[in-house]
Amino acid sequence: MSKTREKETTLYLDPQHPGITGNMMIKLKVKGDTVIKAETHVGYLHRAFEKLVENRNWLQSFTLMCRFCVPEPDPMELTFARAVEKLEGREVPERAKYIRTIVAELARIQSFLLWYGGQSGSSGLYTLGQWSVGDRNYILDLFEDLTGARIYHMYMWPGGVRRDLPKGWIDKAYKTMDYIEGRLDNYNQLLFDNAIFQKRAQGVGIIPKDKAIEWGVVGAPLRGTGIKHDVRIDEPYDAYDKMKFVVPTYEGGDVWARALVRRDEIKQSISIVRQALDNLPEGSYYNRIPNPMKWTVPAGEAWVKTESVRGEIGFYVVSDGGNKPKRVHLKGAAYTHGVTVLEKILPGQNIADVSFILNSLGVCPPEIER
Amino acid sequence: MKKEQKILADLKDVFEISGKVKAEKRISIKTDKKHVSSILLYLKTQKGYIHLNHISCVDFIEDNEFEMVYIIWNPKTKLTVLVHTRIDRKNPKMENIDAIWDQANTYEREIREMFGIHFPGLKGRKEFILEDWQDIPPMRKDFDTQLYAIEHFHSRPGREDAQNVREAIQQRSKEEIPEFAKKYSRD
Repeated sequence: MSKTREKETTLYLDPQHPGITGNMMIKLKVKGDTVIKAETHVGYLHRAFEKLVENRNWLQSFTLMCRFCVPEPDPMELTFARAVEKLEGREVPERAKYIRTIVAELARIQSFLLWYGGQSGSSGLYTLGQWSVGDRNYILDLFEDLTGARIYHMYMWPGGVRRDLPKGWIDKAYKTMDYIEGRLDNYNQLLFDNAIFQKRAQGVGIIPKDKAIEWGVVGAPLRGTGIKHDVRIDEPYDAYDKMKFVVPTYEGGDVWARALVRRDEIKQSISIVRQALDNLPEGSYYNRIPNPMKWTVPAGEAWVKTESVRGEIGFYVVSDGGNKPKRVHLKGAAYTHGVTVLEKILPGQNIADVSFILNSLGVCPPEIER
Repeated sequence: MKKEQKILADLKDVFEISGKVKAEKRISIKTDKKHVSSILLYLKTQKGYIHLNHISCVDFIEDNEFEMVYIIWNPKTKLTVLVHTRIDRKNPKMENIDAIWDQANTYEREIREMFGIHFPGLKGRKEFILEDWQDIPPMRKDFDTQLYAIEHFHSRPGREDAQNVREAIQQRSKEEIPEFAKKYSRD
C-alpha cells in the first residue's frame, strides 16, 4: 500500500455540501478513502430564537417558531401551539384538529419529496431532485392558497388555525394528492429499482437495533432498524386518533432500510390527508385567544411532542404567568442524529458515503442550533 | 393513571423526591442535585426509561438559581418522567451524566456554553454553537441582547436616528402622536 494511503489526513466537509438541508461542518479524520473519526461542528445557523422569544409576547414568539426548521416548518409551530394550549388548558375545535392534521401531513409529503432530491442527489442521481422539487411545488401552492405563504405559514396557532379552508381548496387538495400518488411509481423506478442506488445504500451507515433507542435515534432512522415508534400512535394529537394508517418498519438499520421507510410513509401520508378531507367536520376553526397585547399564559411547564418527518420533536415551554415565555426549548430529531449518532456510525465508512449517510439520517442543522 | 402513580410511588420509596403526576403519561419529580444521576440510572437500568428525550436549563434569576430538567421516556409503557433540580446561580455546577447517555454530552456542552454551568469531567470542545464569544453566557437572563446590539453594531449612515423610529418620524412630520401609541406595548 502506498504511503499516501496509510497517512491520516484531516478533511473538512464544509458547511455547504449535498448531504443536508442547511449548513453544518464535519471534521473528518481519514486514512485513504476511509473515515477514521468524525466530529460535528455547528453554529452557522444559530439565530438565537430561544433568547429572542424571552422579549416577545406569546403571539410574537409564535411567529418565530416555524423558522426553526427550513425543510419542514409546520411541526414546529404546531408543537409550540399545542404546548401553549396545554399550559392554558385551551380546547381546540374538532374542525381545527382535522385541518391541522391535513396541514401536518402535507408538510410531511413536501418534506419527503425534498428528501428524495437530497438522498438521490448525494449519490449522484440528480434527475430525481428536479422532479421531486417540481412536484413539491404543487403542495406549496396549496399552502399559499391556505395561508398566504409557501414555506413559513404561521397558520396553526394556539387555539386552532388562523383561517378556514378557502373555497375550492378541498377539491384542489384531492387533485394534488392524486397527482403526487401518480408520480410515486416514477420515483420508484428511477431510485428504488436502480441497481446503483441499491448497491450504494445497502449495508451502509448501519445503526444497530439494540442501541438505537438508547442512542436517541427517532423517526425513520429508528423505524429503519425494525423498531416501531411513532408519536402519532404513542401520544395521538389533533385528529390522528381517528385516522387509520400503518407505521412501516424495515430491518437492517442501513441507508436502504431508511429509504424504504420514507418511501412507504409518503403513501401513508397521502392516505391520511384523504381520510381527513373525507371526514372533515363542520364548525369553528379557532378557539379565540385573548387580545394578544394583553394575553398572559398561566404559570407552569409543558413538554409536548410531535412526529415530524425527521422524527420526534419536542418543545419544553415554561411560563411564569406573564405575557412572555420564560423559556422555550426545542429538541429536534437532528440534535442527536446530527451529532452523537453521526459521530458513531461514520468511522469505517467511505468519504463518498458521508453526505449520503447524513441525508439518510434526515439531519437538519437549523434544528440543532436553533 | 395507574402506571403513572405506580412509578411515582416507586421513586418516592427509593429516593428523596417530591413530585406528582402532571397529566396522562407525564410524571414530574423534584430532587436535590446529588440524587439526579442515581435516579436517572435507576430509571434507565431498572425501569426501562432508556430514551433520553431532552435536557433543559431554565434561569430562575429571581430565585438566584438555575433549574436543570431531565426528560426521559420508556418505550414500553410510553410514560415520560421529568426530573427537576435546582442549582446555585453564583457557582453553578452539575454532575455530568454522559456516562449514562452519550448524547447527554451534546446537551451539557450547549448548557455550559449558553448558561455557564460547569460539568466536571465534560469532554468536547468548549465552543459548540458560538464562536469567539467574550461576553457572559447569553442565555442568562441578565444578558441584554438589545444593549449588546447597540454596543457592538453601528447604524447605517443616515439611520442614526432609527433608534426610535416613531420619534424620528414625528420630528420630521411634526405630527402629534396619540398617548397610547407613544410606547411599545411590550415596554
